[in-house]
Amino acid sequence: MSDISNSAGSETHARMEDIGKQAKVYAARMRLQKAADQADALDGIREIAGNLIGTEEVAVFKVDEKRSELWLYWSFGVDPNKHSVLEVSREPKLKQVLNGKCVFRLRLSNENLLSSDDPVTALIPIRLDGTTVAVIVLFRLFPHKSSLDAVDHEICEVLSNCAGRAIEPHR
Amino acid sequence: MPKKVLLVDDSSTTLMMEEMILKQSTPYDCVTAVDGMDAISRAVVEKPDLILMDVVMPRLNGFEACKRMRLEQSLKSTPIILVTTREEEEYVEAGFQSGCNDYITKPINSFELVTLLKGYLGE
Repeated sequence: MSDISNSAGSETHARMEDIGKQAKVYAARMRLQKAADQADALDGIREIAGNLIGTEEVAVFKVDEKRSELWLYWSFGVDPNKHSVLEVSREPKLKQVLNGKCVFRLRLSNENLLSSDDPVTALIPIRLDGTTVAVIVLFRLFPHKSSLDAVDHEICEVLSNCAGRAIEPHR
Repeated sequence: MPKKVLLVDDSSTTLMMEEMILKQSTPYDCVTAVDGMDAISRAVVEKPDLILMDVVMPRLNGFEACKRMRLEQSLKSTPIILVTTREEEEYVEAGFQSGCNDYITKPINSFELVTLLKGYLGE
């Protein structure tokens, strides 16, 4: 009997987790797709990072024409003077991101994704027409959140595919 | 008659997510407000069975809105759950001092949210 109730309980738990996951991914996509303008799209990135993923330290870096440097374009909750430019030659993880792949800090790993004093949790390419035009950097997570999970990775994919208006306002 | 929940947040992303979770997991009706001032006026009119309210909002934050709601006769006993990004003791204490019944941290976990609300409102 207890096996049956345990099984029903875990099914309910799994169902609710699934609903939560769908709700977060849907809300993130709608927020970015309905962004009224560039400022609203950047605010959408901040909202998604803070309310759905769990960090209030976010920066967006724009890729330069030579694709050798990324310049700070917008930030929230981080010192802009500490993070004004990222050099691709000094940041091996950025090469993967420029190829369009999200890079996440591994659970329990001490390795930082960038050569920065501040812990970096994720590097998310903003893609337009198949090209990475900018990179979202998520820094420190909330103290009660230890690492990103599967739904966070999906939300990061949404950011990657739908945040273009934050960089190219006429899209 | 279904129970009514007032969702309060200045983030449209959060409101959309919370509404979707509650609509798919519970029989409750949802109404929304976008800041503390809006929440008080909506709560007086709508008479919700429970209020789920963010703390950091423009115009009037969640702590202040909670205090003012407790001065309204019709809202004195309405369960208020605050949504915070921090769970440090002094921050949580400030929430309870303002008159809230409970709190939940961001990012919201759907199972935790639904279980908490059902604890107050039942199935």
